[in-house]
Order: sequence, then structure tokens, then C-alpha cells
Amino acid sequence: MDQPNILEAQKLTKVYEDGLCALDHVSFSVKAGEIFCLLGDNGAGKTTTINLFLGFLNPTEGIPFINGIDVTKDPLAAKQHVAYLSDVVMLYPNFTARQNLDFFARLGGKNNLKREDYYNVLRQVGLQEKAFEQRLKGFSKGMRQKVGLAITIVKEAPAIILDEPTSGLDPKAANEFLAILHKLRAQGRAILISTHDIFRAKEISDTVGIMSEGKLLAVKTKAELEHENLEKLYLDYIQGKVAA
Amino acid sequence: MLKILLEKELRDIIYSTKFAITFAAAAVLVLLSFYVGIRNYQESIHEYENAKTTNAANIAAQTDWRQIQDRVFRKPQPLEILVNGVTNDVGRTTDMKSSGELNLINSRFSADPLFAVFRFLDLNFVFVIVFSLFAILFGYDAINGEKEAGTLKLVFSNRVSRASFILSKLLGSVLALGVPLLVPLLIGCLMLLGFGIPMSGLEWVRLGMVIVAGLLCFGVFLTLSIMISAMVARSSVSFLLSLVVWIFSVLIIPKGSVLLASQIASVPSIDAVETQKRKFSADQRQKWLEVTQQWFSSRMKSSASFSDSGFVNSMAAFQDSMQKVSEDARAEFYSRLDEDWRNKKDWQERWAFGISRVSPTAIFQIAAMNIAGTDVGMKFRYMQQLSRYREAFAETMRKKTGSSADYFRIVIRRFSGGQNDQEEKQKQLNPSEIPEFVEQPRGLGDTIAASLFDMGLLVILNAVFFGGAFAAFLKFDLR
Repeated sequence: MDQPNILEAQKLTKVYEDGLCALDHVSFSVKAGEIFCLLGDNGAGKTTTINLFLGFLNPTEGIPFINGIDVTKDPLAAKQHVAYLSDVVMLYPNFTARQNLDFFARLGGKNNLKREDYYNVLRQVGLQEKAFEQRLKGFSKGMRQKVGLAITIVKEAPAIILDEPTSGLDPKAANEFLAILHKLRAQGRAILISTHDIFRAKEISDTVGIMSEGKLLAVKTKAELEHENLEKLYLDYIQGKVAA
Repeated sequence: MLKILLEKELRDIIYSTKFAITFAAAAVLVLLSFYVGIRNYQESIHEYENAKTTNAANIAAQTDWRQIQDRVFRKPQPLEILVNGVTNDVGRTTDMKSSGELNLINSRFSADPLFAVFRFLDLNFVFVIVFSLFAILFGYDAINGEKEAGTLKLVFSNRVSRASFILSKLLGSVLALGVPLLVPLLIGCLMLLGFGIPMSGLEWVRLGMVIVAGLLCFGVFLTLSIMISAMVARSSVSFLLSLVVWIFSVLIIPKGSVLLASQIASVPSIDAVETQKRKFSADQRQKWLEVTQQWFSSRMKSSASFSDSGFVNSMAAFQDSMQKVSEDARAEFYSRLDEDWRNKKDWQERWAFGISRVSPTAIFQIAAMNIAGTDVGMKFRYMQQLSRYREAFAETMRKKTGSSADYFRIVIRRFSGGQNDQEEKQKQLNPSEIPEFVEQPRGLGDTIAASLFDMGLLVILNAVFFGGAFAAFLKFDLR
């Protein structure tokens, strides 16, 4: 049975006041149980797309939908259905991992979780037990990223948006991170990832969208990419050797 | 949602090392200011009591009311120890006399100039310098710091409105910082009780008002720095801006306002006024001598005897009339001079205070001094009370000496042998016959009236910066 669209961008366009076109009629959708990677260089428009989904920016044209809700019309209701993790996950350094998780869980509407529930989620993301009640001050980036991922998991939102989630992680931590994403996909979450890491994109995603200069140049499924050299394809697209 | 955000804000501040250090420093400084104030008060009261006892003994050692040199001492007030204001600059002693000008001499700073250089550590200092700086340290990165840490986007990826977020920031900061600061202040109040400082009900109310004014001042800096934090993207820039505002508010504007006011409304120096008074007195004295000389010459010609009771009575009457004429003339001249100087000074002070009210700390200082009664009008109010008291003093002296004259007087006394000398010795004076001067503190109504404008300004500034922070955050770029 065909899965419903959880995240959907309809001709998203963003032109700033200075005339810069950051996003130009970008359309795509992410279904439940699908990982969609937006691949592109810095300034390609990946983060702008995410900001439009989260209501941090208003589109000049087009509509971002989360679980069928128009973000521009009801951003607060739409945010109820999405969990987000940025590349800079400092969180609150004076709080412990569990306290950070508790705060964001309650913000996400999970008010009745117990200490053990939080511990289970932290175990799920592979954080060491002794770190559960430690302040985040001394955490490495990988550990903070795990807490951040726990925050996205605990919300139990149908959509997850991750902005450069593996940047700055060592290969082991990155692998652990991606393994968790596989589990979340298996649970039926729609996951949108922005990255400039071609190999990670190919490894994890069901669909890859290649972006450059605010345009979505191509959307390729895992099956389509099976026999393709994604790196070459990407470079061909952004150098204009292949027509979008 | 507001409750969750508020709880987080409170915890985030209270769990921080910055809070622990600043709270400890604030607590130590507050308690130290109370302790130093209490010790100073005890010392001042001791000095005051000693001075009074010595004065009474000096009077008691006299046998003639015309020879006494009574002194009135300004009694230290409990609130002066917490808000020094101008109290240490104002003299503490007055040579009491039935007529002539009254002067306050022997100020604390003139007796101990070292304190004039470094000043005392009082509650005013703690609120103006320490608490305002702490407010900035906590507020400067309240918004943009969260953006830099990435938590702002994380928070707003949830169902959180901007209004509830900024409200939680403002209320959380005020509660998390304001309430703990009350703890050392309350301990300080207990210290006042423990050390037996005689605080009346009115003085407790006034102390409460000073603390409220201090917390309002703290609130102004907190909301101001949060507003700056919501207007500037980078926390390093907002820190710099907040610090510049603090330096101007605490150091530059108050001093600058005085300089500016002195340029706008010039006032002759007190030395110039005193010189005019001295010249007038010297002229008066010269006239008095000439007239007295003429009077004696005319009497000598009529071959009156010094021992003649008619001569003595006539001389006393002459001196009394001379005294009255010169005293009236002097009083009128001095009063005109003083009033003119006072009016000019008032005008200058209005300018200085008006300009300085650009600064929240200056507003607090003016309010606190008005509440504590240590404002610039303190000396004037005290002298007014002293002038009223002088009427009672002069009346007593008139009854005792039969004359109101107390300066430059020729007295003819008869000496009639050893037995009378012994009688004179037995007639030692009783100092308790002189009415005691008791300074009346400002009433609650007057205290409120004197501080209402500045308290109102502090409330308005809190509201303005609160609203400013709110408005700035509504436009804040969350990305």
C-alpha cells in the first residue's frame, strides 16, 4: 500500500529582500518510512528548505506541508508533527542528558514520561549509562548528538528533519547515528536529511534530491542510484552537464 | 507551555556556575554592607553620646548662663547606615546661639578624609554597582546566546509561541535572580535586629521601599540587557553594548549631569557667600563700636558712675536695642543672601537631577536617598528644624540671662568678697534646663511623596524595556 506524504514541499520559493533567490520552485515529498536526503553544497538551499518547513521563514511562493498541515497557515499545529535536530547541538550545558530530554519532551507534548522512559530512549541512541545524569558541559559532540537524536525520538513525531546531522562526528559515531535512523525509518517515520556528504547520502537514503543554487536539480530513488556513480552524477548536475 | 519554559529558565540560571559565583558575591557584599553600616552606626552613636555628655559637663561646670557654649549634635539615623547619601558630607555639630547664623561643622569626611576618598560600602553601592552589573551579566546573552547554542531553533521546532518564550525569559530571569538576592537582604534585616539597631516601624517601611527601588533598578538593567540581546545577533556584541550602557549609566551620566548643570545654571561658591557675610558682619561690628563709643563718651561727659545702677540698666537697655537693630539687619541680609543662593542652587540641582535621570542608577540613587532622608535636602531640613529649636533655646536663655544678646557684650559685675564667690560656685548650671533638640524624621507621606516620581520612573523603565524586549523578539531571526 502506498504510504502517505508526511513532508511535502510545493513549489517552495524564497526571495530575500535584497533580491537573492535562495529557493526556486522546489517541490518534493517524503513518505512515511522514507529517508530523503537533500544533497548540495553550502548555499544550495538545503537549510532554507528546512527553515521553511519549521516556520522560521515565510516562503515567497509555494507551501510547505507537514502531515497535511500548511505550515504557513498554522505553524504551531504543524510543528506538533515534526521533530528537528540541527548540526549545532549544544543543548543546555547546565542540564543533565535526562533533564535536557525531559525539557524538550515536555515541549513536544510528552508530559507523563518517567525517568526510566528517558533512560530507555537514551539507551536506544547508545549513550553510556553513566552519562544519563551528567551535565552536558563535558559531553563530546558525538554524545551531544546522541542526546539530540534522543530528543527527536522521544517526541514520537511522524516527521523528522535533520540538518547536517553527521557533520563533525567521527566515523564510529556517524555509523551508530545512521543505524538509529534506519530503526526510525522502520518505525514508519518520514525523515528529511540535509547533507553535503555524498557517500552518507547514498548509504542511508531512499531518495536523494540534488540541489544547487536554490534549485532542486534531480530526485533519484535508491533503485535509480544503484548502478550510478552518485559523486559523478552530482558533479555533472551542479556543473550543468546534465539537464535538470 | 509558559510554565515549562519558565521552569527551564529558572533551572538553567540556578544550576549555572555563573549564578553560584554571582549569588555568593552578592550575598557577601550585601551582608558586608549591613555589617559595615551597623558598626559605623554603633560607632557614630557612641561618639554622639560622648559628645552630648561632654557638652552637658561643660555647661554644668559653668556658673553663669551668659558664659555657656551649648552645642547641638546631629543624631545618627539608622537608615543612614544603609544609604549614606550626603550624610557623611554634612556636619554633625552646631554651636547653638540665640542669634546669628547657625553652622553645621565637623562632618564625618572632614574628620576622616580617607573615607571621603573611598566612601563607605553601603546598600546603595551594592545596588548601583554590583546588582546592576550582575543583571547585565545574566541578561546580555539571554536570547542571542540561545541562538548561538542552537537551542533556540530546537525550542521553536516545537509548538512554542514567541510571546511565551520571551515572557518566560523575562519572568524567569527576574524570579531566578531577584528572589535569591532577597535572601541576603532579609538576613541583613535580621542583622539589624540582632545588633539592636533601633529601627522604628517607619524606618522598616522605608528600608523596604529602598529594597523595592533597588530591585526595580536591577529589573531595569535585566530587561534592558535582554532587550539588547533580542536586538543583536551576536552575544559578544550585546555584551559590549550592555557594558557601554552600564558604564554610561553608572559612571558617566551622573557625573556629567552635575558638570552640565553647573554650566547651565551657575551658582556662586559657598566661600563667596561667606565672604559677603563676613564683610557685612565686620561692617556691622565697626558701626556697633562707633555707636557704643559715642554712647560712652556722652555718658562720661554727664559724669555718670559705672557703679550707678541707673547707668548699668541704661547700658543694658542700650546694648539690647543695639543688638536688636544689628541682629535684624544681619538676619535680613543673611536671609536674602541665603535665599538667593538656595534658589540658584535649587535650580542647578533640578538641572543636575533632571539630566541624571537618563540613568536608571541615578534614578535609583535619588529615590533611595529621598526615602532614607539622606538626599541633598537633608542639611536644609535639619537646619530648618534647628532654627525652630533655636527659638525655644533663645527663650530659655532670655529667661536665664535677662537678655537675648549673646555676642560682643560688655558685662559689668560686682565683686564683693569671698563669701559671695562661694555662693556663685554653689550656683552651678543644670544643663537639663536647656530644652533638648530632637530631630524629627520625615513622615511616611513625605517620604512617599519625595520618592514617588523616581519610583514611578523605575517602574516605567521596567515596562518600557520589558515591552522593548518583547517587541524586539517578535522580529528576531530565529535561524
